[in-house]
Amino acid sequence: MPSSIKTGAIRSIAVALDCSPHSRASLDAAAELAARLKAELIGIFVEDINLLHLAGLPFFEEVRLYSTTTEKLDPDQLERLLRLQARQAGEMLQRTSETFRLRHTFRALRGIVPEIIMSAATDADMIVLGRSGRSPSCRKGLGSTAMAAFWEGKKSVMLMRPGVTAADGPLMVLYDGSESSRHALETALAISGPESSLHLIVTNPDPDAEEHCRHEVGALVESSGIAAEYHHLALTDPHQFARYVRMIDSGLLVLGNRLNIPEEILRTLVDEIDYPVLMVRPE
Amino acid sequence: MQAPEKLAASQLFIRCDPGEFDFKTTADLDGTTEIAGQQRALDAIRLGMSIRHDGFNLFALGPSGTGKQSTVLQFLSTLTPEAPCPDDWCYVYNFEKTRTPKALRLPPGKACMLSNDLDHLVDTLFNVMPAAFSSEEYQSREKEIRESFQEKQASAIDKLELDAKQHDVSLIRTPGGFAFAPTLKGKVIESDDYMRLKKEKRDTIEMEIERLRDSLQSIMAQIPKWNRETLEKLNALNRDVSGFTIKPLFAEIRTKYRDLGDVVRHLDAIENDIVENFEQFLDQEPSDDEPPRTHTFRKPMNRSRFFIRYRVNVMIDNSRMNGAPVIIEDKPGCQNLIGDIEHTSQLGTLVTDFTLIKPGALHRANGGYLILDARRLLLEPFAWEALKKALRTRQVSIESLAQLYSLVSTISIEPEPIPLDVKVILLGERRLYYMLSTYDPDFNELFKVAADFEDEMDRNHETHLAYARLIGSMAVREKLCHFDREAVARVIEQGSRLTGDATKLTTNLQSICDLVHEANHRASGSGRDIVTAEDIQAVLDAQLYRASRMQERLREAIMRGTILIDTDSEKIGQINGLSVYSLGDRSFGLPCRITARARLGEGEVIDIEREVDMGGPIHSKGVMILSGFLGARYAADEPLSLSATLVFEQSYSGVEGDSASSAELYALLSAIAAIPIRQWLAVTGSVNQYGEVQAIGGVNEKIEGYFDLCSQRGLTGRHGVLIPASNVSNLMLRNDIVKAVESGLFAIYPVSHIDQGIELLTGIPAGEAGPDGAWPPGTVNRRVVERLKAMAEKQKSYEVDAKEKPKKRR
Repeated sequence: MPSSIKTGAIRSIAVALDCSPHSRASLDAAAELAARLKAELIGIFVEDINLLHLAGLPFFEEVRLYSTTTEKLDPDQLERLLRLQARQAGEMLQRTSETFRLRHTFRALRGIVPEIIMSAATDADMIVLGRSGRSPSCRKGLGSTAMAAFWEGKKSVMLMRPGVTAADGPLMVLYDGSESSRHALETALAISGPESSLHLIVTNPDPDAEEHCRHEVGALVESSGIAAEYHHLALTDPHQFARYVRMIDSGLLVLGNRLNIPEEILRTLVDEIDYPVLMVRPE
Repeated sequence: MQAPEKLAASQLFIRCDPGEFDFKTTADLDGTTEIAGQQRALDAIRLGMSIRHDGFNLFALGPSGTGKQSTVLQFLSTLTPEAPCPDDWCYVYNFEKTRTPKALRLPPGKACMLSNDLDHLVDTLFNVMPAAFSSEEYQSREKEIRESFQEKQASAIDKLELDAKQHDVSLIRTPGGFAFAPTLKGKVIESDDYMRLKKEKRDTIEMEIERLRDSLQSIMAQIPKWNRETLEKLNALNRDVSGFTIKPLFAEIRTKYRDLGDVVRHLDAIENDIVENFEQFLDQEPSDDEPPRTHTFRKPMNRSRFFIRYRVNVMIDNSRMNGAPVIIEDKPGCQNLIGDIEHTSQLGTLVTDFTLIKPGALHRANGGYLILDARRLLLEPFAWEALKKALRTRQVSIESLAQLYSLVSTISIEPEPIPLDVKVILLGERRLYYMLSTYDPDFNELFKVAADFEDEMDRNHETHLAYARLIGSMAVREKLCHFDREAVARVIEQGSRLTGDATKLTTNLQSICDLVHEANHRASGSGRDIVTAEDIQAVLDAQLYRASRMQERLREAIMRGTILIDTDSEKIGQINGLSVYSLGDRSFGLPCRITARARLGEGEVIDIEREVDMGGPIHSKGVMILSGFLGARYAADEPLSLSATLVFEQSYSGVEGDSASSAELYALLSAIAAIPIRQWLAVTGSVNQYGEVQAIGGVNEKIEGYFDLCSQRGLTGRHGVLIPASNVSNLMLRNDIVKAVESGLFAIYPVSHIDQGIELLTGIPAGEAGPDGAWPPGTVNRRVVERLKAMAEKQKSYEVDAKEKPKKRR
C-alpha cells in the first residue's frame, strides 16, 4: 500500500451478525478488510424486539420452515433460542478474529434491528452487512436493514453476499471527478489486496473525461501498484450498466456518497447487480 | 567253435570323410538349415497345425536337447506369416453391470487407437466443458431458472406480506420459521396493549392471522415442489448443454469406428454417462490446504478413480503383428496363462477395476500358437487345469485365484470371457506324455496329435550335410567362426559317438551346439577365424578332462592296489568285468574284478550281490540265466551237485544290468574246471540260456576305461577286451585306442558265444560235443563236465553214507 493513501480513517469495522449465509460472508469480508487496515472488528447481534413482543401474544404460533407445521413458542423459549443464536454469532466472530489475529468486540443488543444496527455502528468507521438478512421473502434486492444502512447511514457501508470475495478480487470504482468519487477511489486502493485489479469507470459523459481522470488520479493509481483499466461509460441506463458489470465480472463496486449521478439510477444499479457494494462516506 | 579274430582298426571307428563335402568351409553354405531326421515328428506337427478342429493340439515328445522347440518354431515360421493377423482385444467399463467389464474386439491396431482417442476426448472435455458452462448463455439461462424460482417464492410471500400489511399484520422471521404479528405504526403490538384491545378486535386479528398462516403454510408446501421443478429444469439445462457440447466430439470419434457395432454402443454409453456426470469435468479437485469452496454443482468425487471408467485397457495390441502370433511362455503359471486381476491399496482396502486386468499368454497367443514346456506347466499349481478349461470351453475367463479359494475377501470383478482360438504346443519328455495319456482323461481329448522326436538318425551323406548346414547357420546367425570341412567331419564323428552307434547320428542338437560354441571360443581365442578339426579334438579332450576327476581317482586307486585289478597274470575263478559309472550326463567305464568259487552243493549259484540287496533285478536275472545255461549244458542227466558263489569284488554301491553275466559265467567255468583265466583280457556282454553272447550298452566307455588302465600300466600287446559281436557296429572309439590296435598293442575280440570267449580267455579250446553228447578230452567243457560228475558222485556217496549210518547204530 503506497504511503500516499491514508487508511487511518478506518480504525474499526462493525459487522452485523445473525448466523445467515449473508452474515457469514459479511464477517469474512470484514475480517479481511480489518486485517488489511489493522482495524478493530466489532460484531453486532440484535435480538429483534418485535419477535419478543410477538412471543408474548396469546395466539403466537411459528410456522416451521421445512415442515410447514405450526408450533407455539413461549417468550422464554424464544429468548433461549435468541441467546443461542447470539452465542453462535459471538463464537463465529471469535474464531474468525483469531484466524486473522484481530482485535474484536462482540455486542448483543436488543431492539428494532435496523435502528440498533445504525446506532451501534456509529462507534465504527465502517459497517459491513449482508445484502439481505433473515427476511421472510427470498427477494433479489436489498433487505430492509441493508437498505436503511446503505442509503440512510452516516458511515461507510459495505454490503456482502455469499460466494464472492470483496477486496481481494477485482474492484470497480465509479469516478465522476467529484471529491466523493476521489474518496471512493482512495478507499478502494487502500483496501485492495495483492491479487486485486481495478476497473475505473469514468461516468462523466464529457469526451475528455477519461483523459481528465487519468490526469487527476493517474499518479495515485500508479503509485498503488495495482493493475488498472479505465472505462469511459456514462451511467444513464442502470440496467445496461448492470449487464456490463456482470460481463467484466467486476467484483466489489465502490461508490462515493455524493456522486453526480441521480440516486434513483444508483439505487436501481445496486439492487440489480449481484456483487458486493461499498458506499464510502468520509468523516 | 573257432575263436574270433581280433577286430581291425578300421572297425573301431567309422570316420566321416571330409572329401564327401563340396565346400571348404561352412561359409560356402547358404547359411540356412533344415530339420533332419525328424520326418515322423514333422508330419505330426504338420497335421496338428493344419487341423483347426477342437482338441488337435500338439504334444512334442522326446528327450531334451533334441530340438523340439527349434523344430516347431522353424515349422511355424513358414506358416504364421501367411496366417491372418488376429484382432485386438481390450476391456472397457460396463456401464450396465459395473462388476463385469466388457471385452471389446477390434481389428488389429484399433484398440490402442480407441484408447488414445478416448484419453484425448476426456482431456478435451476438461477444456470444453468448463467453457460451455461458464459461457454467458449458460450463465444467463441458469440464472433465469434460479431467479424464476426465487421470484415465484418471493412473489407469493410478497403478496402475502402485502395482504398482511393491509390488515396491520406483519410477517416476521423467527429462529425456526415464520410468524405473523399484529402491528401498530410498524411495530409489533406488545401483549399488554393487545389484551387491552376489545375482544371483537382481538378476534378479528386472530382470525386474520389464522387465515394468513393457512396461506403461508400452503405457499410453503409449494416451495419443495417449486424447488424440485427448478432442479429438474437445471438438470435438463445441464444435460442439454453438456450433450450439445460433447456431441460433435463424439460424432467425430464415432465416425472412425462406425463399422464396429460394439465400439459404437460403448461410445453411446460413455456419451450418456458424461452427460449425467458433466460436473466431474468442471472443477479441479481441491488441494488439502485449500478450504472447501461453495459450488453450484455436486462436488466431484475422487477424480482419478472416476475417470477410469472412460479408459480402455488394451489387453492385446496386434498393430505390429505380421501374421499369427507365436508365444513361448517360459513360466506357465496359472496367472501367466489366463491373466490376472491386480489390486491396489486404497486407504488400507484392496480395490480393483477393469484397468487392472492383465492379459495372459493365452490372450497373447489368441489366433496363433502357444508353446509351453509340459514339465513346467505341470509344476505350476492350477495351471494345467486352467489351460484345459480354456481349451475345452474355447474361451479365456480370468479368475482371481485368491478370490476363488477365498484367500482374500475384497470387492473384485468378473471380466467377460474372451473367445479363444489357439493351438497349444506342449514340449516334454516321453514319460510325461505317456503318464498324462494314461492318467488324465482330458489329455487325449485336448492333445490329439503327438510329435515323437527321434533321439538319433541314420548316418548318411544327407544327415552329414544337415550337420554341416546346422553349423553353417549357427555361424551366420550367431556370428561365429566358420568350420572347415575337417572340423565338420569331426563334429559328425562326435555326433555318432554320442549315440553309441557308428551308423547313427545324435539328434540331441543341444550337445552339438555346445561343442560348436566351445570350438568357436577356442579358435577365436587363438586369433583364427576358421575352426579346424584340431579345435574340435581339443574341445573334446578338454570336456573329457573336466569330467574325469572321479574316473582318475578310481583308476589311481587301482594303480595303488587299493582296488585289486590284475591285468597281467592268470587266475582261476577270477575275471575282469567291465562296468559303466554314470554321473549326471557323463559316464565312464572301469574294470571290476569278478570272482567265482565252487564247492560241493545242491546246484545253487549264489549271487552275493543279490543276497545282500546290492544287486538289481536285471543283474539277478542274468545270474539266473547263467545258472540255467550251466545246468542244461553240463548236468542235463544228473543232479548239479555244485554250490557256487559269484561276487563283484570291492563293489560298495550296488550293481545293476546283465552286461557282466558272460564274465560271471567265464569265472564260474574257470572255478569249476580249475582252469586259470588270462587277466590281461577284460570281458563284457550278457549271455542267454544257450550260451550266446548278447549286446550291451556303453561298449565304447567300457573299452576306453580298460584301455586307460592298461595303458597306464603299460601295454604289452596281450591286453584286450572281449565284446559281443553284435556291438561291433556301436564302436566309435578314441583315436589313441585305434592307434594302439593298429600297432598291435591292444585287441578287441567280437564274441558271439561263450565257447569262443572261454577259449580266448583260457587258451584252451572249449570243445564241441560229439553225437553222443561227450566233449573231447582236454577241452574246457570236458574238464567242466568231469569236475561236475566227480562232485555229483561225491554227493551221492555222502547221501548213501547218511542213509546207512542209522542202521549201523541199530
